[in-house]
Amino acid sequence: MLGTKWMAKLRAGLVVAGLLAVAACGGAADNPDGPVRVSVWAWYPEFKGVVDAFNASHKDIQVDWTNVGTGPDQYAKLKTAFTAGKGAPDVAMVEFQQIPTFVILDGLVDMGQYGANDDKNLYAEWAWSQATDGDKVYAIPVDGGPMALMYRKDLFDQHGIPVPTTWLEYADAAAKIKAVDPNAYIASFGSDGGWLNGLMWQAGCRPYGYSQARAKDEVKINLTAPECEKVVNLYGDLVNKGLMAQDKFFTADATAALDSGKYWTWAAAGWTPGYVAGSLKNTAGKWAVAPMPQWTAGADEQGDWGGSTFTVTKQAKNQQAATTVARELFGRSKTAWDIGLNKAFLYPLVKDVAADPAFTGKAYDFFNGQKVNEIFVPVSEKLGEFQYTPFQDFVFKDLNDRTAEAMSGSRQWSTVLEETQKNVVAYAEKQGFKVSR
Amino acid sequence: MTRSVPITAPAADDLPPSPRPVESPSRRRRRRVTAHPVAGALFVLPFFLVVVAFLVVPLGYAFWLSQSSKSLALGTRFTGIDNYVRAFTDPVLLDGLLRVVLFGLVQIPVMLGIALAGALTLDAVTTKFAVAFRLIAFMPYAVPAVVGALMWGFLYSRTFGPFADLPALVGGDPIDFFSASLLLVSLGNIVTWAWTGYNMIILYSALQGVPREMYEAAVIDGATPVQIALRVKVPAIRQAISLAAIFTVIGTMQFFTEPQIMARFAPQISAGYTPNLYAYNQAFAYSDFNYSAALSFTLGFLVFVVAYAFVFVNRRRGARS
Repeated sequence: MLGTKWMAKLRAGLVVAGLLAVAACGGAADNPDGPVRVSVWAWYPEFKGVVDAFNASHKDIQVDWTNVGTGPDQYAKLKTAFTAGKGAPDVAMVEFQQIPTFVILDGLVDMGQYGANDDKNLYAEWAWSQATDGDKVYAIPVDGGPMALMYRKDLFDQHGIPVPTTWLEYADAAAKIKAVDPNAYIASFGSDGGWLNGLMWQAGCRPYGYSQARAKDEVKINLTAPECEKVVNLYGDLVNKGLMAQDKFFTADATAALDSGKYWTWAAAGWTPGYVAGSLKNTAGKWAVAPMPQWTAGADEQGDWGGSTFTVTKQAKNQQAATTVARELFGRSKTAWDIGLNKAFLYPLVKDVAADPAFTGKAYDFFNGQKVNEIFVPVSEKLGEFQYTPFQDFVFKDLNDRTAEAMSGSRQWSTVLEETQKNVVAYAEKQGFKVSR
Repeated sequence: MTRSVPITAPAADDLPPSPRPVESPSRRRRRRVTAHPVAGALFVLPFFLVVVAFLVVPLGYAFWLSQSSKSLALGTRFTGIDNYVRAFTDPVLLDGLLRVVLFGLVQIPVMLGIALAGALTLDAVTTKFAVAFRLIAFMPYAVPAVVGALMWGFLYSRTFGPFADLPALVGGDPIDFFSASLLLVSLGNIVTWAWTGYNMIILYSALQGVPREMYEAAVIDGATPVQIALRVKVPAIRQAISLAAIFTVIGTMQFFTEPQIMARFAPQISAGYTPNLYAYNQAFAYSDFNYSAALSFTLGFLVFVVAYAFVFVNRRRGARS
């Protein structure tokens, strides 16, 4: 008796579990008559409006959006899903420096086979080249971070310190600032891999090279080139002299320091106007933007900090529809860019949007009416090719750990890149790559 | 559990010698082997399934993963114990291990010392204040570790934090709690804050179980309250203290949440700051799930060795005294 009752209960339980499983699948399966549903992971601010705009303008494709975490949190989930072979969304937001990593994990679809090469001329050249590998289109660019120097115009004017146009002048200004206010610093060394990378990019340093189209197992790593070393040496020298603070970017301390006159400058990016306007209330109207200081007087070398794309994963059920979503969520959509520019404060990599007078001519109260995009847009146009490694997380983490050692005094700044180079090369060789310089 | 089942006979071994005619041994064995074990097995089944599904299978899978190596360019191949050889010679892992051991050597005695002092005080004081204090001391344990670490991240801030400016009162520089030299102390403080109350409650509960007659005897013998606490109460709850210690040792070896969260504020927390953090980064930042599995097994093995050694030493000492 007991046995049969048990069996009956067990059977009932299994039936219920089965029904639940079927129901769970049913949610994702496409109704043959209804629209194709495409799942998207992204962490853009104000993204709901963009999704709504897409869904309203597409009858046959509907987007299901989830925010599963920002940056590394989402990548951890994505890497797990690629390793497991299931669980990834159809479309995922991925930052530029991560694209080769997901390509080598065999997670991304070549959208070129679904016509994405038609978008080539829509986007800034540097962005398109980072998102593609030959004819293979692994990502559709959305936003970027062309760099420029944000500075406290009121303080520079008040103390008669000229706004630096070269890095030599920048170091001079750092000393002058310390002289007029012992509690102030020219800026903070923010321990941010992408930021330091942007500064190195601007210095003409091209430490990495990778193209799967050329060879899957060949990678170039050259962090000890003079163009790279000079950046770390300059910043290390400023830190050693006590002229540069050491707060990590985006912490409460760093934000408060920006807003209290403790930092006078920030080598920032195209997305900063939106970021700072929301968080720096005391000093609004006192800031201005100038082009990045140059390594050679009169030169026009530029760098980028940050930026993201949409990718289609190999687990996408309908790759054609997913490609449409990746291309058209922002792409040419006026409604989406209206939200992207005015609510999410993205820097647009769509050339026409960036060149639109509505964008370049926009005056920012935070910068006392300055039309700062007149500075950022030419920077983005000037940016050249810059490649990443297929293990950029390792590179940035190692670089951060080595600079942290230098900040704590347990390492000479001049050995930071040398040691990182050694560690990265050892790692790459262990991973089976042939490393060239 | 099976003994409460009415429909089967109790296990014969548990019964006192029975005056009624004894069944033949063969029949007894048959009953034990057939009727009783089926019901027993059914009762154990749900627990067994959960253990298999959520412990044995994942452990087996992780062990299987650790037997292969995945390189980004070459793909996955079977490498046997290579990952373990690599782990035991990996300077990053060894540095991390050394760090948590040093951390534990200081933090665990401090925390358990405070917890023991608190428990003894609570046991000696029987006012309403004691009840309130017990609750307050326990409260940090109820705060999720992530929230606690974030909160302390702000309390340690040089700009907003209430402690950083203390030296300014005497003309010093604000304290940088995230500097390389203070970081372990800052982390130790968070852990102590979170877990002291929990351990205090464990020790306090153990004290409640000590027969009051022992204290009366001690008082009659002329012992002072301090002598009662140190010579009577502490030896009486020795078992509970070692239990709290072993849990804390295991927790310390697996140190993860606080450094992971604090890395947002403190650049000095490197990718391999603690062994667990290193295993996490290997898997979820470097996509090397195989080596991460090997690191986890290595760490698990070391935790087992340390915990067993601790229990062994403790038992020997207990047997001596």
